[in-house]
Amino acid sequence: MSNETGRQARFNLLAQSYGADLYRYAMWICRDDALAKDLVQETFLRAWKALDKLKEKGAAKSWLITILRREYARTFERKVPKFTDVDALEVPEDKELAPDDRAEITLLRRNIMNLPEKYREPLLMQVVMGLSCEEISLELEISKSAVMTQLFRAREQLKAQLQQDGVTGNVHGLF
Amino acid sequence: MSMDYSEFKRLLGADPRTRDPAMLRARDTSPEFREAAVEAERFEDSLERALRLAEPPDLLDGLRAIARPKTTAAGRETWWPMALAASLLLAITAAGLNWWSGHRWDSVEEYVIEHYYHDGLKLLADSGSADSARIQADVQAMFAGFDVQAAQPLADVISVIKHCVTPDGKGIHMVLETGGGLITVIYMPETRVEDRETFGFDDQQALLVQLPHGSAAIVGTGTQNVADYYALVHDSIQPLPGRT
Repeated sequence: MSNETGRQARFNLLAQSYGADLYRYAMWICRDDALAKDLVQETFLRAWKALDKLKEKGAAKSWLITILRREYARTFERKVPKFTDVDALEVPEDKELAPDDRAEITLLRRNIMNLPEKYREPLLMQVVMGLSCEEISLELEISKSAVMTQLFRAREQLKAQLQQDGVTGNVHGLF
Repeated sequence: MSMDYSEFKRLLGADPRTRDPAMLRARDTSPEFREAAVEAERFEDSLERALRLAEPPDLLDGLRAIARPKTTAAGRETWWPMALAASLLLAITAAGLNWWSGHRWDSVEEYVIEHYYHDGLKLLADSGSADSARIQADVQAMFAGFDVQAAQPLADVISVIKHCVTPDGKGIHMVLETGGGLITVIYMPETRVEDRETFGFDDQQALLVQLPHGSAAIVGTGTQNVADYYALVHDSIQPLPGRT
């Protein structure tokens, strides 16, 4: 295998392993399908150019997230993207869910969208990208205990909101 | 020392899928702990389901294309993409621009050149590979997103279509399969241009078209007369009825 072929294979493995999760992560932070696709494309373009700098395979996920977050920050500086309505998000498996579960998922999506960024971001890193609290703390440059507090509060806020939505009958208002 | 309930709940809320031995031991210490762990797992299942989104079917192909050795478009000499890349790099450097680091352009012309360099060749190479019925559905849906429509003469020749970045937000990047070969058209809904202005880069020619709603850039090779497509683009991209 030539160096170039090896490099290509390494890149393809990265794309295959993290491309879809990175798209989901991008989609949840920018809430715009076209922008999410562009962000992922740009992230991997940069990754391809700088692939030789990635020495440890285990660091790839965090490395890609760092690139994507920087790219997103630049985009956001230039123009605030138009956000997609949460109800427009397409998830084929949703059709298989029972109506109550579907209502819960829809409410959760709305509430995730409305979470303060300091709670939403670590939560997405953990649930969508599978980063550990240590990895998140490195990415966000805050202590591990601060990450744990934010994750705890994010979930508490989502649960409380869900309960409130259920109590006020919003579940039924969705259909 | 055993863990108290509030600490257990806090750690569980931070990482419900934890396999930490101390947490696993703690969950078996009382029914209250166990119940909290089961509830946390149930909520986590819902959360994971809520965050699951279907990725675009062409996502992986698009990413793999980045690392694929560059191939030439039909009928072009093998040196051409490298020459384009080299001279474009010079042009970009000279203009102090950088697509990758900020997406800022000093002019529409610079945007068009960079955008074409960014993924124009890839889209030309993709022409003819997609399902035409799906393309037709995408065409009207995408244009309608900008309160415009594509008349049939234009819609009929679109062989590739995707959303793209423009100097002022989102736009549409298309490849037209015409009798004169493949032509690139970039629709910029929020951008104003000098109508009929032409410019060249490498062996490409570009023509700007001011439309009733937004503008467009038509890009073809030097041997294609891009002005021939002015009327097609100008007359075909029109505001939806009732919209101005």
